[in-house]
Amino acid sequence: MVFSRSCREVTRLVLESEDRELPLADRMALQIHWRICDGCTKFRDQARLMRQAMKRWRSYRDDGEDGDSGTPSS
Amino acid sequence: MTEFARQVETLRPQLLRYARSQLRNDAWAEDAVSETLLAALEKPQSFSGQSQLKTWLVGILKHKVIDQLRRHSRECTIFSEDDETDIDELLFAADGHWREAPQEWGNPEQSLGQRQFFEVLELCVEKLPATQGRVFMMREWLELGTDEICKELSITSTNLWVMLHRARLRLRECLQQGWFAGRPMT
Repeated sequence: MVFSRSCREVTRLVLESEDRELPLADRMALQIHWRICDGCTKFRDQARLMRQAMKRWRSYRDDGEDGDSGTPSS
Repeated sequence: MTEFARQVETLRPQLLRYARSQLRNDAWAEDAVSETLLAALEKPQSFSGQSQLKTWLVGILKHKVIDQLRRHSRECTIFSEDDETDIDELLFAADGHWREAPQEWGNPEQSLGQRQFFEVLELCVEKLPATQGRVFMMREWLELGTDEICKELSITSTNLWVMLHRARLRLRECLQQGWFAGRPMT
């Protein structure tokens, strides 16, 4: 199938999409794969969580109050 | 010592920690921080006071850190055995399926609202192999584009993609083991 990808390939694409916009065909392939694959859907969500985490970590580091941790103080 | 100099000096340990985590080399980190503090002390008037002192210093530090990366680009991109490990082989079977399916990590806010989560995250970033760690931090902390990273380190984009890929998979694995494993997810 044109849009068929293995979990291994899907994982690579998900991670690449952190750093560049994927071509249309790859984005289609991801959507189709996620409909049928629970593992890769969970991986996608994990990658999203990591992205949010890095963003917050960066802002604590760069703009956070003084103190040596660079992490939220809750 | 002026009050300004004293304030700048108190931030040194924090800046040094940041520089070390990016450069993975104590001597280079010391140089980058010294250059940062010198630049700050030579031009205190360029600190407008509108942002926090720390924010201003970190901004300078990022430039000095990039200078160091550029200066030591060859040593920065030596692959250790750890860097070379093919994580994909460990995660996927020969047919391309997951050996062990990824687990549910739950609602992000449950983790991102906790200080301990970020402590685990920092540890996991520190544990990345040196070259992968540098490249990952260039992307995530210095926020350089992939083209810029290739240029500064004189590496091919193929190399860069492989390193970012492996770094992110390692980070995920480390978070899974260090934070999410054993936590009931709702």
